[in-house]
Amino acid sequence: MTVNSTEYTVQKNYGDWYASTAIKAGQPPLTPEEEARPFAKYYYDEIPQPDPAHMAMMDKPCDPAKALYPEQMNDLLNPGDLDTEIGWCNLANGAGFIANKIVYPDVTAEMIDWWFAWHPVEDLRYRIWYPPQHAGIMLSPEGRARLMDETIPWSERNWGVTHHVTENCNCGMDNVTISFKSPKDFGFDMSRWKRPNVATFAGGQGWAVSVDKTDESITAPAMMCHIFRETEAGLEHRTRFWMGYRLSNGKPELTLPPGVAVPPVAVQGLARHNVCEFTRFKTFLPRIYKEFGGRMVV
Amino acid sequence: MPIKLLAASRRRPGLTRADYQRYLEFVHGTIARRERLKIASYVQNHVIDGAFGVLDDDTHQQLAERDAVVELSFDSFRDMLSTLEPAEPSAASVDGKFFADERNNIIVMVEEEEIPVPTPMATYNPGLGLVEGVGALKVLQYIMRDESVYPEDYLKYWREAHEEALEKVPYAREQLRRCVLNKRCRANDNDAAARKHFKMVNPPVYDAVAFHWYDTIEQAGAFRQYNEALKSYSKKKFANWSKSFFLYTKEIVVVRDTPKA
Repeated sequence: MTVNSTEYTVQKNYGDWYASTAIKAGQPPLTPEEEARPFAKYYYDEIPQPDPAHMAMMDKPCDPAKALYPEQMNDLLNPGDLDTEIGWCNLANGAGFIANKIVYPDVTAEMIDWWFAWHPVEDLRYRIWYPPQHAGIMLSPEGRARLMDETIPWSERNWGVTHHVTENCNCGMDNVTISFKSPKDFGFDMSRWKRPNVATFAGGQGWAVSVDKTDESITAPAMMCHIFRETEAGLEHRTRFWMGYRLSNGKPELTLPPGVAVPPVAVQGLARHNVCEFTRFKTFLPRIYKEFGGRMVV
Repeated sequence: MPIKLLAASRRRPGLTRADYQRYLEFVHGTIARRERLKIASYVQNHVIDGAFGVLDDDTHQQLAERDAVVELSFDSFRDMLSTLEPAEPSAASVDGKFFADERNNIIVMVEEEEIPVPTPMATYNPGLGLVEGVGALKVLQYIMRDESVYPEDYLKYWREAHEEALEKVPYAREQLRRCVLNKRCRANDNDAAARKHFKMVNPPVYDAVAFHWYDTIEQAGAFRQYNEALKSYSKKKFANWSKSFFLYTKEIVVVRDTPKA
């Protein structure tokens, strides 16, 4: 591995990256350099459609009384299911809540850890995940150095790293910064952090704002939680989003003005996006892991 | 975690600095005491002196005058919003125009990080040494991030530069009694209402404001040496020093409850 490899040469400084997001948002065709990457073929996959019954559960809001608040996140470490495993709604305080569950028969926790460290390194790695709505990604030089550091275990590689993502969650193209956290920094009770309660985790604090940002644009916070556990049917992926919350020193804090609610269209949009992008995981992740898994440089 | 609003302002046309600071302390401060709303603490930092940009600049690249920086702390973000944007305009919110040039305010919403210092207590005077982390000179350093640097890296580089500067400057290492890094919160991005209210046009954005406490104004030289060392940090470029500034201030506590035992 050298600093001349693509994994390093794609690095942009902050100003140049920010300026590039308007172009990325147009989802241009792959460049000749991208076409030459050995994983470019995944960009042209036929994208599997979600199970209609699963997607239908995102048609209408679920019962807010059965939703999980971020202060209750440790309930995700209980055996069994919670009241709402698939659905979305506005909580009584105006925050947006999303729950989703997908079981992957052929995916392992190791694949998840590798994927969340591998994909942020290049735009194309992110775009092949879900080409219809994933436009690009960037890391800071320090974030890149951490992800490329092979002395750090895969399961910890993302801790403290910020992904600068450009994606469309059904409300137009946004620039989203996602600061990944360790489960401890996210607020989980580490005395309960063990199998079979949990196999792995990817989550953190997001802030999303339109690529076409103006002075009036809202920069919206959300806590993102992907928690995984092993079941007889395969790896079970449980997602929770709490929109309108920010993590403040390891504690969730509602960051909505009094009387303001996250627009339902934004909550539902992200819920549907989540179902689509992770439906893709079921077959895509085992395939790409078989080809490139366990290493960063391609 | 508490959130804090820093508002740096300069006096309105026609006022002297003394006029402005007197009004700020005795009128505006009194209004805040009477109409506290959800303010957890309120501190005014009255400017004694300061410097803007660097010697290499041919001319100033920023508004080179500030007369005070106020710090309003709240227990939560919602407490801050309900105080700053009450259903009915508060007396404090309509008072600013009488002393400040509001359209040139710099507002930063921050979270504090206490940075450990080697010598938090003076050793030469037992009286001064009773309490750690206090000092009569408070230096506020607004450091603008270089636009090429990612915000998350900027804070890391500042910390590295800060530690190296203290290492290089024994005088500052011995005299610095307390250091707090005030880190800009992303919620600050949603300040359209504040900008509109104050008619602010493209206000400068500061991702960090460092506070330094020294025993007295006599130790200002320690900060100057530290500041030169900080600016000379060469491993990573992280700041636009032409658009940065520092202020020597006197701290005036307007509202601060005695900690519960």
